[in-house]
Amino acid sequence: MALKFIKRLSSGPAPYFTLGALLLTLAYLLSAATQDSSRLNDLFLFLFGVGILSLILLAAILIRSLIRLYRDFKRNEAGSRLTIRLVTLFVMLILVSTTIVYSFSIHFLHRGINSWFDVKVEQALNDSLELSRTTFGIRLRTLLRQTRMMAGVLSELPESDINHNLRELTQLSGALEIGIWSIDGKLITSSIETPAIIIPNQPNKAIFRQLQQEKDYIGLDPGENGDLQLRAAVRIPKNPALLEDRILHVLFPINERLSSLGKTVQDAYTDYKELSYLRKPLITIFTLTLSLIVLLTVLASIWFAIWISRRMVLPLQELADGTQSVASGNYNTQLTSAGHDEIGFLVRSFNQMTQRLTQARNATQRSHRQLEQQTNYLGTVLGSLSSGVITLDDKLHLKTANVTSSTILSINLQHRLEQPLTQLVEKSESLKDFVQMIFDQIQQHRSWQHQLELHLNKRHQTLMCRGTPLPNKAGWVIVFDDVTTLMQAQRNAAWGEVARRLAHEIKNPLTPIQLSAERLQHKYLPLLPDDQTELLNKLTNTIIQQVDAMKDMVNDFSDYARNPSLQLADYAMSDLIQDVLTLYQNNPDHHVSLLKDQQPLQVKIDSNRFRQVLHNLVKNAIEASEEADLSVVVQLSYKRIQENYSNWLELKICDHGPGIPADMLAKLFEPYATNKIKGTGLGLAIVKKIIEEHHGIVWAENISPTGACIMIRLPLEDFKL
Amino acid sequence: MFTLMLLVSTSSLAGNFKVQSAEISKIGNGYILDATISYPLTPRVKEAISNGVPITFLQQLELVHSIAIFGKYWQWDKTLWTTSLRYELRYHALTEQYVLKALDTEHYRNFPSLDSALTALGTIKEVSLPPEHLANTDGLIFQIRSGLDLYALPTPMRPGALLSNKWQVTSPWKIATWP
Repeated sequence: MALKFIKRLSSGPAPYFTLGALLLTLAYLLSAATQDSSRLNDLFLFLFGVGILSLILLAAILIRSLIRLYRDFKRNEAGSRLTIRLVTLFVMLILVSTTIVYSFSIHFLHRGINSWFDVKVEQALNDSLELSRTTFGIRLRTLLRQTRMMAGVLSELPESDINHNLRELTQLSGALEIGIWSIDGKLITSSIETPAIIIPNQPNKAIFRQLQQEKDYIGLDPGENGDLQLRAAVRIPKNPALLEDRILHVLFPINERLSSLGKTVQDAYTDYKELSYLRKPLITIFTLTLSLIVLLTVLASIWFAIWISRRMVLPLQELADGTQSVASGNYNTQLTSAGHDEIGFLVRSFNQMTQRLTQARNATQRSHRQLEQQTNYLGTVLGSLSSGVITLDDKLHLKTANVTSSTILSINLQHRLEQPLTQLVEKSESLKDFVQMIFDQIQQHRSWQHQLELHLNKRHQTLMCRGTPLPNKAGWVIVFDDVTTLMQAQRNAAWGEVARRLAHEIKNPLTPIQLSAERLQHKYLPLLPDDQTELLNKLTNTIIQQVDAMKDMVNDFSDYARNPSLQLADYAMSDLIQDVLTLYQNNPDHHVSLLKDQQPLQVKIDSNRFRQVLHNLVKNAIEASEEADLSVVVQLSYKRIQENYSNWLELKICDHGPGIPADMLAKLFEPYATNKIKGTGLGLAIVKKIIEEHHGIVWAENISPTGACIMIRLPLEDFKL
Repeated sequence: MFTLMLLVSTSSLAGNFKVQSAEISKIGNGYILDATISYPLTPRVKEAISNGVPITFLQQLELVHSIAIFGKYWQWDKTLWTTSLRYELRYHALTEQYVLKALDTEHYRNFPSLDSALTALGTIKEVSLPPEHLANTDGLIFQIRSGLDLYALPTPMRPGALLSNKWQVTSPWKIATWP
């Protein structure tokens, strides 16, 4: 509760001004209370207590503020150092100035109060008192004597005359009052000058006691209003007629002048004495009051100093925080405005700066986004191109490459961006020609176009490359197309046309030729002499056989030229191969076998055409071995492989024949590329055509020690990355 | 405020003053009080007197009706009548006399010594009690005490005197005996 109160007190500007006003009021009340005539006199202690309480409260608030300041400093919070420095400065200023004022005030206070008193004055007063006493002393002695004489006279008077003589004595002596008292304090008779007073003044017991000891009394008595009178009391000499001892008690007036002088001396002396006595408590009270007010002022000032320092540093702190947040990338930082001074100007400038920064950043982001969109657009366009596009910088480092370029070159160019082109060669030897060609072509410093034959990926590829220099000699953009298929298609189309024509043009006259030869044999054989029949027989048979062969050839051509659509269906590979192989396993000299894969493979193919492929290949293998007079051992095997992120079925047909001559390997699958004695030279061309219709590839390899393998790869449906 | 301070001082500190005796006697239909109070002054007070500072003495008389609510353990006191007699004692330097003045009546007496003045001050004789409350004296308590009126001191001395125990000399209440 108390902490909460202190917390609420020590926040915001209002409490500081309230406190200031309260302190001023308290200081005024305290100083008023120390005035002698003030009505606040009685409240001094209460006010002092309030002052002490405020002091404690203020000290608590101050300690809390200082602790907070120290904590901030320890945490290294922004602005805490400056605040501490300001506070230290203020505190030093306050302490120094207040200490000086305080010490001077105390000094003047002491001097001021002490200057009221002077040894000489004191001595003079003492002396005047003594003088007065001496003056009165002389008179006292005279009056004592007179009183004794009066007592002597009275002692000799008879009892009855006393009353009468007493009045006479009063008038004669000029006394105010004469009374005769018994020694134990009873009034016997009296005579009073003043008619208004009836009861005589009774001497007090101390006088009676003194008289009982046979000592006469004479003394000054302070009377009403401070004027003086003389009191004398003597024992009346013993009268044998009387049983008791009597006392004569006389009050004498004092000359008015003397009385007033004595009164003045007495008053001055008493006042001076009292004042002198009160000097210490007076100084103490003034010092205490002054100290309290000074302490309150110092504490309040320090508190105010802390507050004002914080207030001064706050905008700077905000600025520091704002700058930090801008530095860390938050450009939206806006500070609350801080007045109309220089700091306020700074804050406004900061806000303007961050606004501009935000605008600039937004503009940059917008343009960046646009650029990104354009790049994406370009990337998408380039990616969807069927041509490979790569760009090189002036140092022939690969800058960009689209997807197709990687596909064509069978190397992931995305992983080799920013690398020199020559590193491609290290990775893939087959790209050597490609790189070399680029090096050669860019010497010209102008656009170029070149067709390049590459043996990539076990395939023969034809690339059409075009290079264009980028503006400002920033490099090159090279576009290349895989025209293999195109060229192949062109060749196939040409061959197809040839075959179609051949079939059409040649097949028609063949049947009449064959029929004519048979007719010739049939009709003229019996007519010829026996020695010539054999010749005729031989000639016509030759014609028939050659026409048959030519028919086969033409059929092959028409087969090749035919281009029916594929009838695709799922087939188990092993069943398909086994079906074909059974046709060749009747001959005991032929060892045609299938090495089965562990897992059954389903392939989507046109079964009839694929059978033709198998027939052609197996037949080719057998024939090759037979021609070389080698044992016929043909092995078929297939398996699933993964390459270029695709699943493939790889079918291998291997023989142990003489192998394929090296110069034949490249064009083995082209029409009429044969070294066989028999055959049309279209068998492997047809194989290649069918495989390519299935989107597969086919190639030949020689194996050691002897033999050759025909490799077929067909894409599998379950394409997986 | 004054009563509060007086009560606080009596409760916290044993007073130096002491009411030696307090007796009530019946004269005719009325009652009178005789009491003696001893005033042993502390050196601090004596010093003040000798320096001319007038000291005010208080004699407080109180008539309380005590009603027993729960035996003698819990009683409800109702003050019927109260009075304060104030006397000022000061030293007259010129005549070397001590002047004792009753502030209520302006009546004064002189004494050659402090002791005689204090003895006179401490002797209360035949003070008549208010007859209107004394028709029935059952359950009535008459009590008396004496102390110094510190608020009558000069201002500079007052805070010191109020806080110092050398000035806290108020006597405890003394219950007077009924005849």
